[in-house]
Amino acid sequence: MALVVLIVAIAIVVIGYKFYAAAIDRNIVQANPKKATPAVMYNDGVDFMPASGSVLFGYQFKSIAALGPIVGPIVAVQWGWLPAFLWLMLGVFFIGWVQDYAAAMMAMRNEGLTMGGLAYKFISPRARGILLTFLYFYLLLIMGAFGAVVAGLLANPVVPIGLLILTLAGVLAGQMTYRWKMDLVMTTIITVLIALVGIWLGTTGPAQNIVKAINGLAGTGDKHILYQTPYGPMTWPVFFWGIVALAFCYLGSVLAIWRFAQPVNYVSFWFVALGLIGSVLGVAIAAIFGTTDVAFHIPAFVTWNQPKLGWLWPMLFVTISCGAISGWHSLVSTAGTARQLEKETDALPVGAGAMFTEAILATLAVIFAATAIAKPDGSVIYDANNMYFLKVKAGAVWMYGMSRFLSWIPGISPAMGGAIGAIFLAVMALTVMQLVLRFMRVASAELVGDKIPAFKNPHVGTIVAILFTFLILWTAFWQRIWVLFGGANQLFAGLALLLITIWLANEGKKYAWAFWPAVFMYITTVAALLVVAWKSFQAMTKPDIGAAFAFGNAVAGLIGLFLAITAIVLAYDGLKSLSKARQKAAAQAGD
Amino acid sequence: MTEKEKRSFLTKMLHSIQDVIYGMASHDMARQALKTRGSMEHLFILITMGDLLGVPILPPYYSLRLLPYVVPQISTWKRRMLRERDLTDALA
Repeated sequence: MALVVLIVAIAIVVIGYKFYAAAIDRNIVQANPKKATPAVMYNDGVDFMPASGSVLFGYQFKSIAALGPIVGPIVAVQWGWLPAFLWLMLGVFFIGWVQDYAAAMMAMRNEGLTMGGLAYKFISPRARGILLTFLYFYLLLIMGAFGAVVAGLLANPVVPIGLLILTLAGVLAGQMTYRWKMDLVMTTIITVLIALVGIWLGTTGPAQNIVKAINGLAGTGDKHILYQTPYGPMTWPVFFWGIVALAFCYLGSVLAIWRFAQPVNYVSFWFVALGLIGSVLGVAIAAIFGTTDVAFHIPAFVTWNQPKLGWLWPMLFVTISCGAISGWHSLVSTAGTARQLEKETDALPVGAGAMFTEAILATLAVIFAATAIAKPDGSVIYDANNMYFLKVKAGAVWMYGMSRFLSWIPGISPAMGGAIGAIFLAVMALTVMQLVLRFMRVASAELVGDKIPAFKNPHVGTIVAILFTFLILWTAFWQRIWVLFGGANQLFAGLALLLITIWLANEGKKYAWAFWPAVFMYITTVAALLVVAWKSFQAMTKPDIGAAFAFGNAVAGLIGLFLAITAIVLAYDGLKSLSKARQKAAAQAGD
Repeated sequence: MTEKEKRSFLTKMLHSIQDVIYGMASHDMARQALKTRGSMEHLFILITMGDLLGVPILPPYYSLRLLPYVVPQISTWKRRMLRERDLTDALA
């Protein structure tokens, strides 16, 4: 079944790209290879720089593919693997690529403006203000959602030492490249090898004993429960390693980018790429030769109403964001890619191509999840007696999947495969978290720096952002935070699609292919955010809930409510602008 | 497809794969280095040629001595200095 699903996904992606996307690019947007792009016109060697389509495809894919396409499907298979797979395919086919590609085209045809500038130009000055505030909360939710996943992964004894050595290898890569001016190929070989040896060391007994000793510092073994939450116990290892993950992000935020964040991400990239290629081949080999069990153990359809997550509509559509559609991509397409595209015709393979490829990665996550219901030792992953409720952190599912699908490579034991899977996921999350924290620091300095000058200090801005993240991390149910993050992400996508619609209407082009996806995304995500806010407020009023969780739920509820209200205001302003654009286009057609 | 065409096709494909890997692994690093250099250069031009934007800093004698080296970059420098920005620019 796994191979069938993978082949169907590839077929849908190829059809979507070759026929639907290419037709819109050719007939409606009419990309013109002879038209000068902002990268060429305004080439300043800083913000605007032309690069080839292949280079930008790699850049775009690396920038958009993080934890989203992996964790979302792992959580969403609780409704059944088919709804998750269908949403991935329909989402990417009709909505996902539209946003990524058209956002790049829109920015390119508007002098390389970013989302803030485009909202100002096409909607209203108020829209830009709301968008930027919205952005801060969105980033906070990324930190909360990703941070929870990383904390859970690091609590596993085979992971921290490997990750630590990989980080040190990254710092060494920075030193070798920028200070010692060594050849990049040599630097890569040395540091990637150090990282791989480090990961292997992490799986050995002595290294695990060190981590187990840390995990046991709070007493009573390595599963010491610090406090009970309404969503399960908070153990000391998860609590402690969560703080370590935030400290890691702090370094990434305040140190010079060449010193820490960039070289660590560079070494991590090789690791993630090798892991990904290995596991894709692993699924194919397992399906063909039967080396690993690839039968789907989760039913195609489980329920319309997942007790812990809610109704399939609207919750599934925000649980899976990246892979189907994600607002983050519009930020990358406008601020990053659109300013580097050398030719307009490159927008299709770069924007749409990278999005379709990401859908394949998300399909891989569906396969990992649907084939893993319990481990060989009997521990349950998805509880078949309880509506297939996910009993472990999403990271553990991926880890288990990698341990199985990498086992075809000689010398990779299940423990090593699991460690690779965990570190793979942790570095993907930490890469984004460092960038997000850095951005939150800049955002707080810009938003409140004039009123509270302390926020202009990078340490203050970073620490405040970390404290907010900490609050979310330890007082709220992570699956709810994941849904809130997905909701914010999808709303951002809805806004990007609305902007694209207004731009197309202003240009007098057909816009239904962007407008209806925008409507769907808006209605679905506002509904999902209101549901989450309602559930959070309900949980807050339970008599037996502790003060911290009442507070955590209040925060989650208020964020959900705030995002829903801002979205409605933005939609109101956006529809007014759309109406004006239509009238303008009609008047021009009349002339 | 002739042998020559096959070779050319394979070479092109290899180049594309190289480019994709470079885009994923190193493009950001190269861009960041160029950005740092560009920002330093633009800062230097602001110090020496600030009067072009109404910021008189150095005596014109030094500005004039440096002018031939700066001329090729003046237009992009002015555009960058005067371009409106917001938070979403920081993601680029």
